[in-house]
Amino acid sequence: MEKKLSKKALSKSFHNWYYGHLTCFSQEHMQTFGYLCAMLPLVEELYKDEDEKAKAMNTYTAFFNTEPQLGTVIVGMTAGLEEARANGADDVDDETINSLRAGLMGPVAGIGDSLIVGTVIPILLGIAMGMSTGGSPLGAIFYIIVWNLFAYFGMKFLYFKGYHLGGKAVDFLIGAQGEALRDAVSTLGGIVIGAVAATWVSVQTSLKLLNDAGEPYLVLQDKLNEVFPGLLTAVFIIVCWFLMAKKKLSPIKVMLILVVVAFVGVLVGFFNPGLAY
Amino acid sequence: MEISWLQAIILGLFACLASMPGLGGTSIGNYTLGRPLIGGLVCGVVLGDVTTGILVGCAMQVVYIALVTPGGTVSADVRAVSYIGIPLAMVALSSYGLSAGSSEGAALATSFGTMVGTLGTVLFYGTATINLVWQHVGWKAVEKRQYKKLYLVDMGLPWISHLICSFIPTMIMCKLGANVVEVIKTALPMDGIAMKTLFTVGALLPCVGIAILLKQIVKGAADFIPFLFGFVLAASMGINLVSATVVAGMFAILIYRIKMLSARKPELAGIADDDEEEI
Repeated sequence: MEKKLSKKALSKSFHNWYYGHLTCFSQEHMQTFGYLCAMLPLVEELYKDEDEKAKAMNTYTAFFNTEPQLGTVIVGMTAGLEEARANGADDVDDETINSLRAGLMGPVAGIGDSLIVGTVIPILLGIAMGMSTGGSPLGAIFYIIVWNLFAYFGMKFLYFKGYHLGGKAVDFLIGAQGEALRDAVSTLGGIVIGAVAATWVSVQTSLKLLNDAGEPYLVLQDKLNEVFPGLLTAVFIIVCWFLMAKKKLSPIKVMLILVVVAFVGVLVGFFNPGLAY
Repeated sequence: MEISWLQAIILGLFACLASMPGLGGTSIGNYTLGRPLIGGLVCGVVLGDVTTGILVGCAMQVVYIALVTPGGTVSADVRAVSYIGIPLAMVALSSYGLSAGSSEGAALATSFGTMVGTLGTVLFYGTATINLVWQHVGWKAVEKRQYKKLYLVDMGLPWISHLICSFIPTMIMCKLGANVVEVIKTALPMDGIAMKTLFTVGALLPCVGIAILLKQIVKGAADFIPFLFGFVLAASMGINLVSATVVAGMFAILIYRIKMLSARKPELAGIADDDEEEI
């Protein structure tokens, strides 16, 4: 009789992954233990023999790490493959499963990091911060609800897509449609981030040139804003981008450079936060 | 503002859930509770001042808007930012008598939070290192075919790592933080160079957060245009964020449609060619 994974086992496997993919993280094994926990309910249902169980579980002791939300599709695909193997498919063995996992975790991590962590979350946070202007909890609540619904149902969708479609599930991600979607979303992200920067970041200079009567005849901040509102903010952001993207400096080094810039700026009177008790 | 032991304990628990790798899982833990905006809400509720919490959270959120951890390398620890940095910043604001809504208040919060967040990376590496012990237990269980033990290893034992690296540090720092803030306040007067620098740094740091995000999107000079377009929408035209997202969505749809058309073009051309050959 052909073995078929029950809805219950698949659901347990999905939830183990949804919750546990990174709970026991180490630099050495990363998501490996999360993966083992996700596969365990499936292996227990498919195999009764202890040796077969052990053989199946050993497949998933290989190192695994990817972007966990999008990476759910890989877990779903291996669920389908394991089911095929239990039914005696000749072309599915340790090697096919692990080369699929190893081959996909890199590209999926790349797409997931830029799509989810680099675009979806910042956009949601950008909107949420807009709603929370003035200290209202509304934006934070909005983010909690929208992100979690998106993450939970998105991951569930990916898991079952992977299970039912196998290899076809990732065509969508790496094919022409996926590329068009990525371009569209990254433009959307770019515009929203620009708006977030202009709304929430404010770099201002206090430099003023005074005439003989002590009246300022040049207020640099105003002059700069006449050229392009928020010019100084935009310039600082682009310089930070340049240091990290082109000069390959780490964020912490760039932050240290800003500390020096701030210190020198305060000394020469370029920056003055205007503090007083 | 004083933080009681009970409040410090609650914040410590949230730190366990929120960290990366946290016990809330990444979706609920790291990406929800770990975000400074949400941390601001939680700290605000726990400390009894939601408005200040949210304002401080917003200010710090800009710095960490794109906290990507590729391959498990971190430049800041979310549990430290959200559950040590935010409470201490709230204490500092009330001690200096600054409003969290003012730009000075936001700058103070940002530099406090970032300092704590950077030091907090120690906690991240600490947790990951202790987890190695549990993973060792896990491999033994796999060898002995005691697979049920894997659940304990993956979801139970890491609580001990977090007790050591999340709960205790957060609780102690929150409890003692108020005294430290007082010491800093007497040592560094607000109109001195050190404080002026600190506030200026606070205003500059969000640039790094935005730049980290841009690194993901911008490959060449032309990719700056969407960013600057969004900047102009808000800075020059005064459009708010929700409306700017709608405008951005319009452009995203246009790009998607154009890309799909050009992707299908060779396909269609191919069909046309076949037809000709048949004739």
